[in-house]
Amino acid sequence: MLRRTALAAAAMLAAGALLLTACTGSAEPGPSETELTADPDASVGIRLVLEPGNLDIRETAGAALDQILIDNVYQGLVARTPDQEVVPALASDYEISPDGLTYTFTLREGVTFHDGQDLTPEDVVWSLTQVRDDAAYRDSARLAGVTGITAEGQTITLTLGAPDSTLLWNLTGRAGLILKKDDTIDRKTATNGTGPFTLAGWKQGASITFARYDGYWGEPAQVAEVVFSYIPETQAALNGALAGELDVLTGFDANLKDQIEAGGDFALVLGKSTDKGTLAMNSKSGPLSDERVRQAIRQAIDKDAIVEALGAGQTQYGPIPELDPGYEDLSEVAPFDPDAARALLKEADAEDLTLTLTLYNGYGTTVSQILVSNLDDVGITLKVNQVEFPTWINDVYINQDYELSFVLHTESRDFENWANPEYYFTYDNAEVQKLYAESVAAVDPDETADLLAQAARIVSEDMAADWLYNGASVLAVASNVTGVPSVNVNERLNLAQLVKSTE
Amino acid sequence: MIRYALTRSALLLLGLFVASALIFFTLRVLPGDVAQLIAGINSTPEQIAAIQQRLGLDQPLPVQYATWIGGILTGDLGESMLTGTPVASELAQKAQVTIPLGLLSMTVAIVIALPFGVLSAIRRGRADGTALNVGAQAVAAVPVVWAGMMLVVVFAVWLGWLPAQGFPRSGWSDPGAALRALLLPAITIGVIEGAMLLRFVRSATLQAVGEDFVRTAAAKGLTRTQALIRHGLPTVGLSIITVLGLQVAGIIVGAVVIEQLFTLPGIGRMLVADVSNRDLLKVQGELLVLTSFVLIVGFLVDLAHRAIDPRQREAE
Repeated sequence: MLRRTALAAAAMLAAGALLLTACTGSAEPGPSETELTADPDASVGIRLVLEPGNLDIRETAGAALDQILIDNVYQGLVARTPDQEVVPALASDYEISPDGLTYTFTLREGVTFHDGQDLTPEDVVWSLTQVRDDAAYRDSARLAGVTGITAEGQTITLTLGAPDSTLLWNLTGRAGLILKKDDTIDRKTATNGTGPFTLAGWKQGASITFARYDGYWGEPAQVAEVVFSYIPETQAALNGALAGELDVLTGFDANLKDQIEAGGDFALVLGKSTDKGTLAMNSKSGPLSDERVRQAIRQAIDKDAIVEALGAGQTQYGPIPELDPGYEDLSEVAPFDPDAARALLKEADAEDLTLTLTLYNGYGTTVSQILVSNLDDVGITLKVNQVEFPTWINDVYINQDYELSFVLHTESRDFENWANPEYYFTYDNAEVQKLYAESVAAVDPDETADLLAQAARIVSEDMAADWLYNGASVLAVASNVTGVPSVNVNERLNLAQLVKSTE
Repeated sequence: MIRYALTRSALLLLGLFVASALIFFTLRVLPGDVAQLIAGINSTPEQIAAIQQRLGLDQPLPVQYATWIGGILTGDLGESMLTGTPVASELAQKAQVTIPLGLLSMTVAIVIALPFGVLSAIRRGRADGTALNVGAQAVAAVPVVWAGMMLVVVFAVWLGWLPAQGFPRSGWSDPGAALRALLLPAITIGVIEGAMLLRFVRSATLQAVGEDFVRTAAAKGLTRTQALIRHGLPTVGLSIITVLGLQVAGIIVGAVVIEQLFTLPGIGRMLVADVSNRDLLKVQGELLVLTSFVLIVGFLVDLAHRAIDPRQREAE
């Protein structure tokens, strides 16, 4: 399933790229599909934006690690497809008991780790138990409800005290990764997984290199090497691509479409994502504790203008993006209406308001400029405070010392933060917390989605925050490269289907 | 001379000590710490506390400072809190990019500044001399980032002669490729630093032209240019050494910007990344090495000045 979907996407991508080559009408005829042959010795250069601080998939936070290490290097019993479906990975199949309390996985045979050792059922039990029991590990809490982790032959059984509709999905993430039992590698700089790629090198400050793992249990990777170059500046990445040094640019700017496509060697590719441009509003004190003020801010912001300025993505009016269960169009809750916003501010006696927006300085200025101008229209003076990421974590996330904050939350299925009153969103609604708990306990996926949708509607109606846009994954892909995922690449960049062709 | 060298050495050591304390304590003013960053968003206070304890961040600051200095005195610069890699080996690796980049930039700067600086002094008041001087002022005012961008667009994107970004993964095992990767960045820094240096050369030359001994030499039958070159330029050389010493700091700062722009894995880029990761043990080790380097260069320039210039020795 994973394979077929990715391949279909790859084929469409290739077709799109070829069409584009044909359309530009360059002097040299573009390669036609029959002339392209996959080059098994190819090295593919991929631009990424943020370099991880270390490679410790167990302890170190950040999508930069999930993005490249999960699926490619480390795998779990199950994995997620670009369509956000859960499919078997290291387990050849799995079964959930009707009461939702027992999960049975059949572990694949013939799987080896990159150091040559066999994958055993003990490795699975050890990996999952470690995550559950060590609170310092990422996502440890996500396995807290698992009371039993046992193996008998190739059968792995997880037992739960209460049903958990998020468990399978969580097993496709950090919590579910299977590592070698008692491995002695230094996870900060080395890896030992079961995926189609091994870590071949990390030049800190420049690049991470993956090499094909020839002992892979599935279909081996079709390129010999992938080089991730960390280039924060989009312009530098564009120059590198135009100079022929890179094959794929992730985190690209859709507004540079004409420049990247001008030579006919690259095509811009847009994919859906769960990136949520979230404007958090600290409702604990001050003018933002008044729901009318929060609603005024929401109605003052022109979301269509933001999406247009970004050149990609779509509007999103509630906490759940289209790709996640529980999505519902909530555009009617607080539509763009500056007059209504002014009236609300007047009613709340909050005219001539000055607010501070604290955001990470890596986000650029497009969004904050629109916010400043939109809010100015309704009489709110917005001061923009751009800070380094550690400062943001300290001031906004930990100390919750902020008024407004903008964050692009990339994680999928993260509604739980709205049900957590301790989270920096400062949102505390018992009804939402109850609905979320019920959605977790529900056994039927449709029921889960329905409960989440109800909770999301309340969050939006409470004006808990504003959702400025649902970002798109923006990539530029060379015309001789196929198999690059386009959906939610900030979270996962599965390169199993990557192909680079020669004429 | 020996007494001067000893006094100057004592000053150097004091300078290093003060620098170490300044580096350590000013870095602690930065909000946020590496443990919070490792734990990230979706973390609990307990998780952060556990990481802080493991990294020794729960110790009082004076204790942390003493531990660090104790290590330095035994030759241990410490290690990264994120990767565990020793700071010394990280610096040695990144220096393979930054030191050649610095030397290359300096060479470009001197190659531009010396001939054109002298020329613009000799041709003072004429059209070409004035044009050189004005041109140098203009170039010196160009932002490094903009200059780099322009060079990339012309030489990498349009002409395809040189790489637009990055450094060969194999490093200096292919010296040609490595050198090509450094050429555009070095020219970017070198031209701008060279333009500044040019104005120093020009004013030093102008001053030399007015010196008694140059006029005497001219009176004895040399042309003014011959007199300047034979007797005046050694004094110009002296001021240039001083200025070059000062420019080392400028080139390091230039490297921080240019390594970002060209994605070069050098000391500058590492420093920026480490600060934004709050890998303070690593940052303070790096800063101490850089500061020592600048202070030691200044120390050597002073000694050289003393040794070369007879006037300073006689004044003793």
